[in-house]
Amino acid sequence: MSRRNIAQLLLDGTTYFATLLSIIALGLIFVYVFREGGHLLSVNLIRSDYHARNFVGTLREESPGSFPIESFEGDDLFPVERYGIVLQQTQDLAGDTVIRVYYVHEASPLRQLNNQDPTTNERTISLQEGMILRRVSYQEHPTSLTSRGASMMATDMNDSQREIREVLFSLEGGGIRGSVITTVYLIFLTLFIALPFGILTAIYFNEFAPVNKVTKLMRNFIETLTGVPSIIYGLLGITVFVPLTVRLTPASNANLIAGALTLSVILLPVIIRTTEEALKVVPNDHRWASLALGANKTQTTFKVVLKQALPGILTATFLGIGRVIGESAALIFVLGTAIRDQVRIFEPSTSLAVHIWSMMTDEPANIALSSTIALIILLIVLVLNVFIKVTVWAFNRKGSY
Amino acid sequence: MKEVFYVENLSLYYRDFAALKDIQLAIYKNQVTALIGPSGCGKSTFIRCLNRMNDLIPEARMTGCVRFDGEECQVSGYDVIGLRKKVGMVFQKPNPFPMSIFDNVAYGPRQQGLKNKEKLKVVVERALKQAALYDEVYDRLNDSALTLSGGQQQRLCIARALAMEPEVILMDEPTSALDPIATQRIETLIEDLKKEYTIVIVTHSMQQAARISDYTAFFYMGELIEYDKTDVIFSLPKHKQTEDYVTGRFG
Ligand SMILES: Nc1ncnc2c1ncn2[C@@H]1O[C@H](COP(=O)(O)OP(=O)(O)OP(=O)(O)O)[C@@H](O)[C@H]1O
Ligand SMILES: [Mg+2]
Repeated sequence: MSRRNIAQLLLDGTTYFATLLSIIALGLIFVYVFREGGHLLSVNLIRSDYHARNFVGTLREESPGSFPIESFEGDDLFPVERYGIVLQQTQDLAGDTVIRVYYVHEASPLRQLNNQDPTTNERTISLQEGMILRRVSYQEHPTSLTSRGASMMATDMNDSQREIREVLFSLEGGGIRGSVITTVYLIFLTLFIALPFGILTAIYFNEFAPVNKVTKLMRNFIETLTGVPSIIYGLLGITVFVPLTVRLTPASNANLIAGALTLSVILLPVIIRTTEEALKVVPNDHRWASLALGANKTQTTFKVVLKQALPGILTATFLGIGRVIGESAALIFVLGTAIRDQVRIFEPSTSLAVHIWSMMTDEPANIALSSTIALIILLIVLVLNVFIKVTVWAFNRKGSY
Repeated sequence: MKEVFYVENLSLYYRDFAALKDIQLAIYKNQVTALIGPSGCGKSTFIRCLNRMNDLIPEARMTGCVRFDGEECQVSGYDVIGLRKKVGMVFQKPNPFPMSIFDNVAYGPRQQGLKNKEKLKVVVERALKQAALYDEVYDRLNDSALTLSGGQQQRLCIARALAMEPEVILMDEPTSALDPIATQRIETLIEDLKKEYTIVIVTHSMQQAARISDYTAFFYMGELIEYDKTDVIFSLPKHKQTEDYVTGRFG
């Protein structure tokens, strides 16, 4: 075997090895997050609030009757005939152990409770299927708690010696709806700020700027910015954007606008560079052809050059979306770590990635839910990537047939 | 004969390198003028001075005077866009835009503000007919221009220039990337276009220059060695260099 062949073999080998390694790493991550968090993945998780609304109620009639309950199969189901409900020992969306109300009889006295929460003005509240039973307290008997399990709670409730004093229940919590909405807001706000700026800067650099020391220096500077760790942009966010937004908007501390501004600064160099690459690929022949036809520079740029650079700019956009979805370090200070169900742009909230951070810094860390969110993020990034490939491919096909 | 261009004492430098030295020549209306000479002698550089495409080369610096229709056109403040509308250009490599055939031809008029669909259609059709391409593409005007063959693409580029209704068409080796049949078609086309347009063509083919041109300019090392009627250049050149070049005994 000749020396060149060996070199070639070595080179090929290294390439294949590196590729294999990355594929294995990615595969392992996928398997891990799927094993840990796959079971929590559901549409309900994405649609539900994180903070469950609590209800406190008292019974209207003193003594309940007996409600026949058709047979419910399952080890985790515990019927309470005295009140006409079936309890289920289960986990909520965030993976915590809870007692869920599996069934409520039509005539159950728990459907008509007096509201004891003075902060709301409803008179009647009702226990419904799917809600979480948190606590049942009795006259002169110890309270039944979630922690003692559904079986115990059912036994206590069925005990004819006990009269219910108060019932505490809630909607199911642990959902990530707020963080999903925040992430969507962030994507749109950030792109709205960063795309026009980035694209126009790239156009200026590539089409209009004279090639001299100053523009070269600026280019290098932008290049350097792509390598700055994002936590530093987070610092920029708290020293500049948070005070700025507090000054100019109703915001009083970390907020979504400041988060979007910080992310825009992170995205700008990426967008500028990707767009510039796309503009460089457009052959000079086309610029000359356009100018020779009496079109001016602006017309040439927008009608001929930009049109051809569109796939590249789209790629930049998708890369930007991926970056917004994945960013956490920079957002912890600037956007906050408090999970919110009501997302407002002048208030703190969490993006999906920061939601993971919040879950992992909980005591104890919620690895299952973090893995589920990680899975969601990975899926989105994967879909985005496929989307990039398909659009670029479609564009190329349209251009060249 | 009426002079369209009149060039006087034209020199052009790329930084310190003199690519054109003190050129003097007139280009006549409704004539085909061929520019010949060995590679690197400055033919492309010269033709670019006529529609100010040399403006796009930052290191190029020009001295002297170029008059178009009697007006000095290389001075700052001259309407360059207006000049390029009246002086069209066809490049060596066919360079249609990656758009439909129709949009390619309509590009120039559209940039001048022509929006009316019917009028655009008339302009595009006329230009394609003049460029002898209409019969081949009339039923697929909305296809991408890149689906055309090289020869068709070059005729499309000519049509694109004609759509601007220019007075002059500059062609820089328009057939060098084409096969003999496509070349033949373009040569026939040039014969036809001569009636309405003034044509300046750069070519490396002596036969082509002899076949289609009325006047021929021979450039050598940035200098205009000889400029005369084509028959004179090819039969009775005054300079030894010209004779050597046109008879192929060069170098
Ligand atoms: N942008 C430029 N910068 C520096 N030198 C250049 C530039 N363009 C052309 N030149 C030089 O100027 C001289 C004339 O070039 P030009 O392209 O006009 O020649 P040409 O006669 O068209 O040659 P060809 O027949 O090969 O096309 C050449 O020596 C070339 O190297
Ligand atoms: Mg040339």
